Amino acid sequence: MKESTATADLALDQESRRAETQQHGTQNNILIIALRELRAYFDSLVAYVVLGGSLLALGIVFFLWQGGGFWDVDRATMSSMFRFLPWALTTVVIPLITMRALAEEKRSGTLELLITLPVTDADVILGKYLAALAMLVILLVATLAYPIAIFVWPWHLGALDWGPVWAGYFGLFLYGGAGIAVGMLYSSITESQIIAFFMTAGTLLFLHVIGGLVQYVEGLPGDIIAFLSFASRYEPFERGLIDTRAVVYFLSIAVICLLVAFRSLESRKWS
Amino acid sequence: MSTDVMIYANDLSKSFGSFKAVDKISFEVRRGEVVGFLGPNGAGKSTTMRILTCFLAPTAGTARIKGFDVFDSSLDVRRSLGYLPQRAPLYLEMSVLEYLRFAADLRHLDQGTFNKRARSVVEVCGLAQVLGKEIRHLSHGYRQRVGLAQALIHDPPILILDEPTSDLDPNEKAEFLDYLRQIGKERTVLLSTHNLAEVEAACGRAIIVSRGRIVADGAIEEIRAKSGKVRRYTIAIQEAVNGESYQGKGEPPKSAEVLAALKGVTGAKSVAVVPTDDKKTTTYELTTERSNDLRPELFRLIVDKGWVLLELHRDTQKLEDVFRDLTIGDERRNRVVGGGKGKKAAPAEPEEDEDDEEEDEDEENS
Repeated sequence: MKESTATADLALDQESRRAETQQHGTQNNILIIALRELRAYFDSLVAYVVLGGSLLALGIVFFLWQGGGFWDVDRATMSSMFRFLPWALTTVVIPLITMRALAEEKRSGTLELLITLPVTDADVILGKYLAALAMLVILLVATLAYPIAIFVWPWHLGALDWGPVWAGYFGLFLYGGAGIAVGMLYSSITESQIIAFFMTAGTLLFLHVIGGLVQYVEGLPGDIIAFLSFASRYEPFERGLIDTRAVVYFLSIAVICLLVAFRSLESRKWS
Repeated sequence: MSTDVMIYANDLSKSFGSFKAVDKISFEVRRGEVVGFLGPNGAGKSTTMRILTCFLAPTAGTARIKGFDVFDSSLDVRRSLGYLPQRAPLYLEMSVLEYLRFAADLRHLDQGTFNKRARSVVEVCGLAQVLGKEIRHLSHGYRQRVGLAQALIHDPPILILDEPTSDLDPNEKAEFLDYLRQIGKERTVLLSTHNLAEVEAACGRAIIVSRGRIVADGAIEEIRAKSGKVRRYTIAIQEAVNGESYQGKGEPPKSAEVLAALKGVTGAKSVAVVPTDDKKTTTYELTTERSNDLRPELFRLIVDKGWVLLELHRDTQKLEDVFRDLTIGDERRNRVVGGGKGKKAAPAEPEEDEDDEEEDEDEENS
């Protein structure tokens, strides 16, 4: 008798807990997974390589690479940064921060422990995506050091128009968000970080450089290239414009890639 | 009564391509049972466990954990379970405490419950010394303890443990099995292992699988009784002297001579030399299917020959023997290229591949 009431209590308890978790559980899970991933970036070298490397490269771009040096340019603009950063994102940053996401977990078997906890496959994908996105945001915030250092303090090389800078950052965020989703996709279909890295870098680089062909190819093929190219989508942001179609485009790429990654993670069940 | 069934599998099948890893497995495990899941490498133990824990979906059949279908209510299933996968794959860059915290967070344990439970699992798994250490710096034995700790952190009614003792040392094993027996009283435990002594020590019941099928399921005694055919006799004969005087008749015998004589014993099925590092004594193992005691006859024979008998005993039926009997086809299949003389002339190639993969997994472990 005593036991049966205890069981009933337990059942009730579980019922209420389940109702509760169904409300908050999913967001919580995504956040918990994202925070763990973010910590893993900083526990490994990835975060430091990405941040340090990018800032260093930006410095080189600003002060050495730009014909004659930054100090000779008479305009108060950050356009060289916004021209350079997509290259860094496609070739190094995004492949680095996404290659581990699922590939490494599959290889080392940790995925089995993660997925047999009460989390959905979507929690796992979104949590990892969010962590990579957070890494991107941290990087973008860090690059703010350059416009601030050059135009606000300690130097004041002129009055910077911040409008285009924010537009540029917004563009980079979208660009990166789509790129990270592409990386997640590759990471979800292989067990090798190296393959994930090069496939991601290759695909993103391809999508970026075909933008350069637009001016040479006419007609339908040209339109298709312009439609697909990350570079031509990003270009208005670089100039300080927010193009709604580009926003939709980058978001769609992100959603589609994440859906494919989700399916690919799910497919382990059936293979 | 049916609420008592905590793990339920009905006609569970799982194929990888043309390879049937699990082939129509059906069993039930009730509350308060500790069940050993036995079988050779590649027999389908891990696959079955992965289906029960919602990591894989079955190709056919149904499985329910605590009444929840693994497919339809997969989250409820995973909430009721504690699972330790083979080799305890953990995030190496996390510390033990962080890892437990992470598992508890995903199970939505509040801070108070976590503190209480963490203290308990740390004590049970002996992790107090390593709580702050990164998992990458721990030995395999400790990693396995951490894996166990995360499986126990939410005090689950059902535990599914895939080779939980493979990396533990003998002391740790004994302690762990003790603990399993304790918690097994109100809980349900399904653990897989190759080690039959463990099953005998901790489990009331065993399910033996071979080539994806269940070949025996029942209380340990029942299983042991089931194939009581083979009996073993161990006979040690002195075959050399080192200076000391030989107590037997004439010269010490040669091994070949003894072997021939033992083979002549009525009912002897096989006679083999048991390798030992004793130079003077040779130990033989004689098996028979006869149920009558062969010891008098063996004694008579040895006395008549005038040999010096140093040891003679009859082994009672061991679980090992049953296990070998029931799963012998698996091993034979592994040794003979092309499927060989196994019961089924199966399409051998893909099967072999799968087997190899399973074994590789195991080997990495050791």
